[in-house]
Amino acid sequence: MKRAAGLWLAALAGTALAHPAPSSIVRLEFGASDVRAEYWVPVSELGYARAADPGGDFGAYLLRHVAAESPAGARWHVRLAAVRAATYQDQPYLVARLELAPPVGATARDLVLLDDAITHEVRNHVVYVVAKRGAESGLVGALQYPARRLEIADR
Amino acid sequence: MQTRTFAALLLLALVAVSPATRAGAQNCRQSTAKSGGTPEVAAAIDALRPLLSKEQLAVFERPFDYANATHWSNLPIGLVPRTTLRLGDLDAKQAAAARRVFVAALSACGLALMDDVRRADDFLVPFDKRPIGWGGGNYYMAVLGTPSAKTPWMLQIGGHHLAYNFTFNGRQPGATPLFFGSEPIRFESQGTTVEPLSAQSRAMSRLAASLAARPEARLSGTFTDVVKGVFMAGPPGPDFKGGTDSKFPQTYPTGDADRGIKVRELTREQRTLVRAAIESYATLPGRAISAALLSAYENDGALDDTFVGFSGSPDFSTKGSYVRIDGPRAWMEFVVQPAVAKPEDLHYHALWRDKQSDYGGEATP
Repeated sequence: MKRAAGLWLAALAGTALAHPAPSSIVRLEFGASDVRAEYWVPVSELGYARAADPGGDFGAYLLRHVAAESPAGARWHVRLAAVRAATYQDQPYLVARLELAPPVGATARDLVLLDDAITHEVRNHVVYVVAKRGAESGLVGALQYPARRLEIADR
Repeated sequence: MQTRTFAALLLLALVAVSPATRAGAQNCRQSTAKSGGTPEVAAAIDALRPLLSKEQLAVFERPFDYANATHWSNLPIGLVPRTTLRLGDLDAKQAAAARRVFVAALSACGLALMDDVRRADDFLVPFDKRPIGWGGGNYYMAVLGTPSAKTPWMLQIGGHHLAYNFTFNGRQPGATPLFFGSEPIRFESQGTTVEPLSAQSRAMSRLAASLAARPEARLSGTFTDVVKGVFMAGPPGPDFKGGTDSKFPQTYPTGDADRGIKVRELTREQRTLVRAAIESYATLPGRAISAALLSAYENDGALDDTFVGFSGSPDFSTKGSYVRIDGPRAWMEFVVQPAVAKPEDLHYHALWRDKQSDYGGEATP
């Protein structure tokens, strides 16, 4: 798995290397009672978004633009656990670790991701959402302006 | 040797394409009335085929299906490998025959654009040694399906900064998706200044400048690339794939909000600029390929209902400058980006899609 993750990062990095408009990637990892997210944000595109919405630090910005709810509409609790900088070749990223907890009594298997980080400003920006359930990992969807809602159901 | 062959063919091409034909879209529209005709393009392909080896034929001739049709990109081959017939591998006879295919399929402007985009890629080789795959030899061609007078088939020509996707005998006229770009935007070569996208950048820039006094024409947000371009696809890991048109069919804006200003609101002079911008894209394929589309875009009803919008600097002096033509069918984008090989410079991307007839209406997921 570590090797696969490394290759994924290499692919992401390569895309950034040769492309002036890198994408965001959200990696969701489903646990028994919550969902952990690793949110990769390209600094170049974040700069345009922060010019339009400059309040607070990066974490505060992200929490203003990322939320989750159950398919029936019950809001999840989203907590920012950590932020780190990552550089892949020439392209800097910020990587936020988020913890998404469903309301009491709701399953953590199905969620609706509500997300317009960067896409609220950068019209061509795409957020690719990857979900990992057990050993399986795959692209479950993408968000680009004006879309900001992605249903992610257990399969 | 291959580089010398390509250089010689380019020189011939530049001699063949007179300054008059390089001057603007109007000339492209008027020239080579038969270009893009199905029989002529099919005949040129038939003449190339016997010159290819068994291995070359195997990569040149592909089934016309969704995966092959949508396998084009604005990313270089180091990221999105192209696996069809590599132009840099052709010998002199094969290259000459391939060029006759291009001449049959393209207008003079479309041919000049292709040559200049490849030369721009060549120009960057000394500046960037990363495994990106710069180079005019790294452009490819393929035929999807069997060229004939009746059944659908496609001719694809492309590489890092070019994707010509022409569909013949489709349900709809098939000139798109058509992507083109240039890095650098301007360079010196053999004592002359080459600007591959000069016609399109000038037409779009003039249009944006004419709209600058109309606040409703300014689009919200920031643009760092074209909006309806290629898409990444999972899963991540060793089989990571992406950067092709796998999101096709695209969805497009509806309603009136944030799409710019309708052409019906513009002056006669501004309408002329819209037409010129449309023609700078739509005259790249041979006339027979795109004439019906041009008529569909420019008839008074369709033109009235077309939105035009812009963002950034109308003179394209800064990154993020963007112009879009968003009609009942036409979708044309032009964006100014930072360069990749030389980040202090600028870099153009342009995209033409048709909301009804990408791939001639013949590609279904």
